[in-house]
Amino acid sequence: MILVGVDVGGTFTDLVLAEPEAGRTAIHKVSSTPEDPSVGVVEGILGLCRSADVAPSGVAHVLHGTTIATNAALQHRGAECGMITTRGYRDVLHIGRHQRPQHYSIQQRIPWQDTPLVKRRHRLVVGERLVPPRGEVLVPLAEEEVREAARALRAAGVESIAVCFLFSYLNPAHERRAREIVLEEHPDAFVTLSSEIAPQFREFERFTTAAMNAFVGPEVRGYVRRLEGRMREAGLLADLHIMASNGGVATAQGVAERPVATMLSGPAAGVLGGTWAGALSGRGDLITLDIGGTSADIGIVTGGRFAEATARDTWIAGFPLLTPMIDIHTIGAGGGSIARVDAGGAFRVGPQSAGAVPGPAGYGRGGVRPTVTDANIVLGRLDPGNFLGGAMALDPAASGRVVGELAAELRLTIEEAALGVLTIVNANMANAIRGRTVQKGIDPRGYALVAFGGAGPLHAVDVARGLGVREVLVPPHPGITSAMGLLTTDLKYDAVRTLFQTSGALDLSRMSADFAAMEAEIAAQFALDGVDPARAAFERAGDLRYAGQGYELRVAFSAGAVDEALVAAALDRFHAQHRAEYGHAFPASPVEIVNLRVTGLGPRPKLGRPEPRHGGTLVEATLRRAPVVFAGADNRPVRAETAFLARDRLPVGESIPGPAIVLQTDSTTVVPPGCTLIAEAGGNLLIAL
Amino acid sequence: MDPVTVSVIQGALENIAVEIGYKLMRMSYSSIIRESEDFGAALVDAEGRGLAESAQSTPLQSGPIPGYVKNVLATLRARGDAIRPGDVIMHNDPYGGASHGPDVAFIVPVFHGEELVGFAATTAHHLDIGALTPGSCGIVDAIDAYAEGLQFKAIKVHDAGRRNEAVWQILRDNLRASDLVVGDMEAQVAASRIGAERMAALVGQWGLPAFRAACEALMDHAERLMRQAIARLPEGSWRAETRIDGFLDDPDPARRELPLVATITKRGDGLVVDLTGTAPQVPDRPINMPFAGTVDVAVWLTVRSVLLDTAVHGHIPVNEGLTRPIEIVAPRGCLANPEFPAPTIARFAPGNQLADTVMKALAQAVPGQVSAGIGNLKVIAFSGLRGGSHWVHMEIFEGSYGGRPDADGMDAVDTLYANTRNNPVEDIESHLPLRVERYELREGVAGPGRFRGGLGSVREFRFLEDGGASVEGEGHRFRPWGFAGGGDGAPAALTLRRADGTERALPSKAPHMPVRAGDLFVCVGPAGGGYGDPFERDPEAVRADVLDGLLPAEAARRDYGVVLAADGAVDVPATARARAG
Repeated sequence: MILVGVDVGGTFTDLVLAEPEAGRTAIHKVSSTPEDPSVGVVEGILGLCRSADVAPSGVAHVLHGTTIATNAALQHRGAECGMITTRGYRDVLHIGRHQRPQHYSIQQRIPWQDTPLVKRRHRLVVGERLVPPRGEVLVPLAEEEVREAARALRAAGVESIAVCFLFSYLNPAHERRAREIVLEEHPDAFVTLSSEIAPQFREFERFTTAAMNAFVGPEVRGYVRRLEGRMREAGLLADLHIMASNGGVATAQGVAERPVATMLSGPAAGVLGGTWAGALSGRGDLITLDIGGTSADIGIVTGGRFAEATARDTWIAGFPLLTPMIDIHTIGAGGGSIARVDAGGAFRVGPQSAGAVPGPAGYGRGGVRPTVTDANIVLGRLDPGNFLGGAMALDPAASGRVVGELAAELRLTIEEAALGVLTIVNANMANAIRGRTVQKGIDPRGYALVAFGGAGPLHAVDVARGLGVREVLVPPHPGITSAMGLLTTDLKYDAVRTLFQTSGALDLSRMSADFAAMEAEIAAQFALDGVDPARAAFERAGDLRYAGQGYELRVAFSAGAVDEALVAAALDRFHAQHRAEYGHAFPASPVEIVNLRVTGLGPRPKLGRPEPRHGGTLVEATLRRAPVVFAGADNRPVRAETAFLARDRLPVGESIPGPAIVLQTDSTTVVPPGCTLIAEAGGNLLIAL
Repeated sequence: MDPVTVSVIQGALENIAVEIGYKLMRMSYSSIIRESEDFGAALVDAEGRGLAESAQSTPLQSGPIPGYVKNVLATLRARGDAIRPGDVIMHNDPYGGASHGPDVAFIVPVFHGEELVGFAATTAHHLDIGALTPGSCGIVDAIDAYAEGLQFKAIKVHDAGRRNEAVWQILRDNLRASDLVVGDMEAQVAASRIGAERMAALVGQWGLPAFRAACEALMDHAERLMRQAIARLPEGSWRAETRIDGFLDDPDPARRELPLVATITKRGDGLVVDLTGTAPQVPDRPINMPFAGTVDVAVWLTVRSVLLDTAVHGHIPVNEGLTRPIEIVAPRGCLANPEFPAPTIARFAPGNQLADTVMKALAQAVPGQVSAGIGNLKVIAFSGLRGGSHWVHMEIFEGSYGGRPDADGMDAVDTLYANTRNNPVEDIESHLPLRVERYELREGVAGPGRFRGGLGSVREFRFLEDGGASVEGEGHRFRPWGFAGGGDGAPAALTLRRADGTERALPSKAPHMPVRAGDLFVCVGPAGGGYGDPFERDPEAVRADVLDGLLPAEAARRDYGVVLAADGAVDVPATARARAG
């Protein structure tokens, strides 16, 4: 069976083809086509088929990571949206949590006020009101008002409508009835229900999630349809799955209905790719570090499972979203991050970035500000003649000029300044990783750092040192790790129900019924997707907190009928997790179960292990030797004669002492003095610190 | 000190402060801390000088922490006591650095070997502090500092590692809703201790000399940024006056409509903020503002937000250096520098009005960096008894910003030195006998201007069971000021609509009152002042406000000279005539 993974980035579309049974993989890269990415996707797949000598009709599955939804949100280019909501709450989307994003700013802009997802004129109220604890009807739905609202929105040219009623997560009946009425009046409308998209409490966040779905919905739906059409025209009969933020894939149809679930499509695939690479080395406790031009994405994997974000830490384009996401921490640190001296004389790196254009000064495209990449060039860590496999010539003189200016301003030598740039940017990344490990009770010293993206392997060892991490892994193709990750996914669906019950007074039969209902819901979806019911797996969890707290922790629940013992085990896990995350527990306090969750996994064919490598000898691999600057004692620059090695010719299994620089088409790996490098038969580079 | 190490240590300090705040917010029980984020977290050096603060938290909580610590040091010294490893110190003395009594700090010292190198501290607004009526807001009839609740003056709740059980018992016995309040205090201790451990590890990693040198350098850096910003101001002195309601229903004129005055003078690269002219203290009503803890924070916050606005200057580290160039003068015995035991517990809204007054003075110097007058805030403490124990819910009601040089005012937000969050309706109604019946923008009222003032909100709370409530706020009497030709905004209002059909307009401060099931509070928020001549407003922006139901068509014509045609489009010739005429 042949699988193809396609990850669309801003500049390049990365592709990987795998035939797990035959143990073969092939990779390919084409330029992205931002005006309609489906063009590049299909061209890329056809190109890959040609180079791998596979008929397009022979591809069984295409797995796709897309930034369509993310870009629509970031650039605020979405549908003209309407909202039908409960009378009295027209402005929930606008008032938000009444908090300003910045403490110390008069001139700041507030995304939900300055760039609203739904304009006030299109937020229409209707009579209806539900109340807790079970969504009892206080005011029945005024159906005629819904009808009038739908007509008014259609007349106003609104194509996408979110229906958002208070407490609908307890009782979706009013929202569902409203959808029927809206579709009667406006059959072409893209309709989103808040109770379907994020059935949990906190109205601003739920309504915003629904509004975001409405905002990006028509564009994503159109894109998916276009892509499917182009695939058919090109003779690609494969079924299409799209990567979701939750670390699973969804069917094209599912994504067209729930596009908001794809907001982290690209970075999520990266974490999965890092997990796959870790497994090649037999490592399951991992920190994934994907460094590109403008940002670095950090993920944490424990025992082969990625961390999930808690529902209150998930923001996209300045808007809070309540959709299940892999916990990915993105910081503004990458190869293009600009180094500068601020007005007060402090040395800063990022978050401003030179981006791809003009890019670092060393790219010779008009960049005049010193960047992280320029620092790497000045220190001799990037090979000017071999960058991107020689596809792009670097201009070391330009890098020297801009870093020299920075050094003069700081009264440092040029090498001290360049090393300082790296020290600061690496410390920023280490701090961010600390926030996801040490600060959550995870000791990173037992984890391996998997570094990918174009710049990840350049910085990985220095970042690892700052954390006490002992091992760095560099996957076979660091530049296309996300595309590889796409081929390791399962179909994945999440269901959630808000419960709001407290330990000591739990309605166990309701809990059993809720779990069963959610499992049935997902099973029905699996049936539509053609998943073999015998192979589908369900995982249960709860969002728990001490009664009175406002933040929940995600705690696993065992399968089976919910009884006292099952609940007691979950509560024990909660106390332990609370202590691990916050350094403290309140074991005598009552615990509130806020939400119950079920995740369904439908297994899919996956990328296997690559063919064992045979490699060459160290002599064959050595391209040249040249001096490279590293940090010595007291962080002083020290020049060391360094071997520049071709990755594909490295001897397998042989310990190579640093310093060394490993070159390959899509990345450069730095092995500082004091570390050893092993090219593993499984495909990774392993650097031991 | 090499600039690379300074940058790395500063990043590490900020990371620790963020971690403390994150953990406190997630562990705490009361909605005032975990939803409203009315808490602070900061690291200070051995002298109490601020090094870093949590990016979460509200400025009025983190800002005062250095003042708390400095006063704790002085208090212990005067008492002949010392700081020892294993101490945890509780402090809430408004005449000793605290912002007001309910904002209790828990302070953990950091040692490197034998040597004291700094403190990790948290503050949080507690639900109850044992004052005369339930809750810790709306205690507007406390006659002196003793009536406001318990006073903690550098009390060691853990003494050299030994838990002082007697103190914890006193807390449990004297605070309402003590399970929640004491739980929150335990969370503060736990979070502060984690911060102290992290800071000790950081000092260990770099060594004390390098750590200290980096701290000096990062404070000097912030000081330079502030001095440069001040140096860019034109030479001069700028005076502004605004008024607070005080107690509008009080027969004594000395307790109502009180002036706040700020005169800001540039002296080289420093500023003197002189509050002379501000009304005398009110000796027996708690709207007096602690000089250290409220007044200083209000001034620093405003100067910093105007001169080093984050949206313009990017992230700027918050530490003691930012405050060094600013001298604050307030005569003893005025509202902004009261004398003990004048009560201070309800200083929140007057302090924010003081921040607004400082901005009004700065507006004359840097008109392109301010907003027109802000709408002030209000807090209502809802409470009741259930099964013999209290429930207390404190809700902060948002204000709004004035118009700005190139944008309308922010609508329905917390203003200036406060930046808390509201509570979700779906959370409130799931846990309390309250129903929120409306939460929307206030229509038809905003200070007109080229950029109009921010809109207020309308929020209605109904009691589903008998209970009580008390109110503390400002802005019922005076309109937020318009600027540069913009019109004034609109004041706030509060109405209590009883289940029996009677209705009463409440003043901005109302002591605890019994409330019956079915009674409804209707809280109408203030609208900010306008910025610039409304006749210069883009007619399309006026039209958008009309379409959005925020501005009646006749007001578009009257206030903005914009005439809309029957199809809703701007009637360009008629608008030109209206604006010319």
